[in-house]
Amino acid sequence: MNLWLLVWRNSFRKKTRFGLTCLSVMVAFFLFTTLAGVNHALTASVSSINQYRMITSHKISITRSLPINYQQKIAALADIEQVSYASWFGGFFQNERNQIAVMAVEHNSYFELFDEYQIPKPQLTQWKKTRTGIIVGQALAKQYGWQVGDKVPLSSSIWMNRSGSFSWEFVVSGIYQSSKQAGDNKKIFFQHAYFDKGRAYARNSISWLSTKIVPQANVEQVISAIDNLFAHSNSPTRTTTEQVFVKERAQQFVDMAMVINIVVIAVFFTLLLIVCNTMIQTIRERLNESAMMKALGFSSASLISAIYLESLLLLSLGAALGTLLATVLLGFVKQAFGDFLPGIYISPEHYFTVFALVNIAAAFCSFFPAFTIKGIVISETLGGNS
Amino acid sequence: MQNTNDIILKAINKSYQKGDNTVVVHDDFNLTIKSGEFVALMGPSGLGKSTLLHLMGGLDQPTQGEVLIGGQRIDNLPQKKLTQWRAENIGFIFQSHHLLPVLTAQGNVELPLALTPLNRKQRKQHASMALQLVSMSERADHYPKELSGGQEQRVAIARAIVSDPKILLCDEPTGNLDRKTADEILALLAKLNSDSGKTIVMVTHDHKAAEYASRVINLESYILSQNNSLSKNEELLQNIEPEVDDISIGASS
Repeated sequence: MNLWLLVWRNSFRKKTRFGLTCLSVMVAFFLFTTLAGVNHALTASVSSINQYRMITSHKISITRSLPINYQQKIAALADIEQVSYASWFGGFFQNERNQIAVMAVEHNSYFELFDEYQIPKPQLTQWKKTRTGIIVGQALAKQYGWQVGDKVPLSSSIWMNRSGSFSWEFVVSGIYQSSKQAGDNKKIFFQHAYFDKGRAYARNSISWLSTKIVPQANVEQVISAIDNLFAHSNSPTRTTTEQVFVKERAQQFVDMAMVINIVVIAVFFTLLLIVCNTMIQTIRERLNESAMMKALGFSSASLISAIYLESLLLLSLGAALGTLLATVLLGFVKQAFGDFLPGIYISPEHYFTVFALVNIAAAFCSFFPAFTIKGIVISETLGGNS
Repeated sequence: MQNTNDIILKAINKSYQKGDNTVVVHDDFNLTIKSGEFVALMGPSGLGKSTLLHLMGGLDQPTQGEVLIGGQRIDNLPQKKLTQWRAENIGFIFQSHHLLPVLTAQGNVELPLALTPLNRKQRKQHASMALQLVSMSERADHYPKELSGGQEQRVAIARAIVSDPKILLCDEPTGNLDRKTADEILALLAKLNSDSGKTIVMVTHDHKAAEYASRVINLESYILSQNNSLSKNEELLQNIEPEVDDISIGASS
């Protein structure tokens, strides 16, 4: 017999209560881990962005276009390394349910600026020579079985071509793969020159510009210089770093990180109350036993340690099961939907956080029972009626 | 000359607060129990028999006075030292056995040994010996709920003696048992006293139980004999709940 055995046996003494409390811990850590994985997927694309790239769009809205000659004007500013541009095509394949992120990009500069899109050199060269050529993400090519040389008709929900149709003809020139863990492999890029000549209206306009600055440049100064340049034009601009740009687009829907944090805090607060209440109830039920152990010579510290270990065992078991379940589930989700949420990932730091939280929660849950144990007056608790 | 295991209560005052009133349990109480004695403390409820037992075991402190065990004053020991001293010197047996339901008889008996430097094998051996002494070897693997009241009390006695304490303090050890079982338990205590020389102090209301003791102290008459003036003890005696069947036995051998 040792204290560990006693802790172990006491833990499973009220099996239903232990099971239910363990289940609540499991659910809390399942949520925590799942949300952490999803949060990583949503924020990974932002955190992995090149910090020297900036986006310039119309000051009022990104849906408003900018003149194409802004490229030369920005390129002439100090500390600018490269400028490219793009327009949103708003495409789909075959029917509107098959929406695809299709962008017309300046073919000479775009993939030099966005070097995370890895394209075999011969394919990139071929694409630059092919007016109707498209570069397709690997996941998308796999999804539709497209190969280099295939003709692919894509429709736009925005842009009519000069023949009065919304259907545009393309040929697959290359297939890219993103070098980033959370990279998107489901986009299509085609030449802006083809787009500009082919569309029925709004020629010589673009949706946004992408600018790469030299590493030693002062970002704020460059941003001011670009926006000041067009401040009094018909198309004033708003320039941000690419990170801010992507984050703002994501936050148009919901600030996921904030929602996750609120949910996690609420879940943990509830969890602490549940486990704490369980431990308080447990120690009250065992008051006589604790008093007897004190009478036998066990110190308050050793009894408090036992309660801490009991809390730790309960929380560890629940947390391990919850985290394991979430890890397995996220593994399946990543396999099934990895193309849509490529950044699903549980970092080693998360497991460390779980470990730390379990220990902190165990200490917190032993806090109130510790006072009860410390306050036991053996003679009063074990009584004696004479 | 004072024996190393004598229990001496010297000029004990014990009182506690009950609302605005101070209830005096003992006032200038003196008692000496010689090493190796089997003493039964008797008397009506409310006279402070259990309180005396708690004072001897270091479970409670006197308001004034000294508690000396084996020449060592224990009433002013720091809590940590007192806990350790209790583990080494005192075995408790209560009316309610307070066995841990999650441990077998063997596990319960081994429990106090977790505080000693004995290894697992030695702990097991000691516990087996203690269970053998109380004739419970065959029930070593049984949980308390699988034992009768008498068997549970035997296990509690084994737990009290397993670390070989010099003093056993028993608070109504047979209070919950039938006559036959009570006699078996009392015979066992008497055997421990005679064979192992353990000092036993037993609080009991049971006159038959007291017959097993080598000295019976009727606390009511003992207090009166300690003080010439009844008025000094009027307050104390007011706390007494009279018992119809209380018969003063007095000190006997």
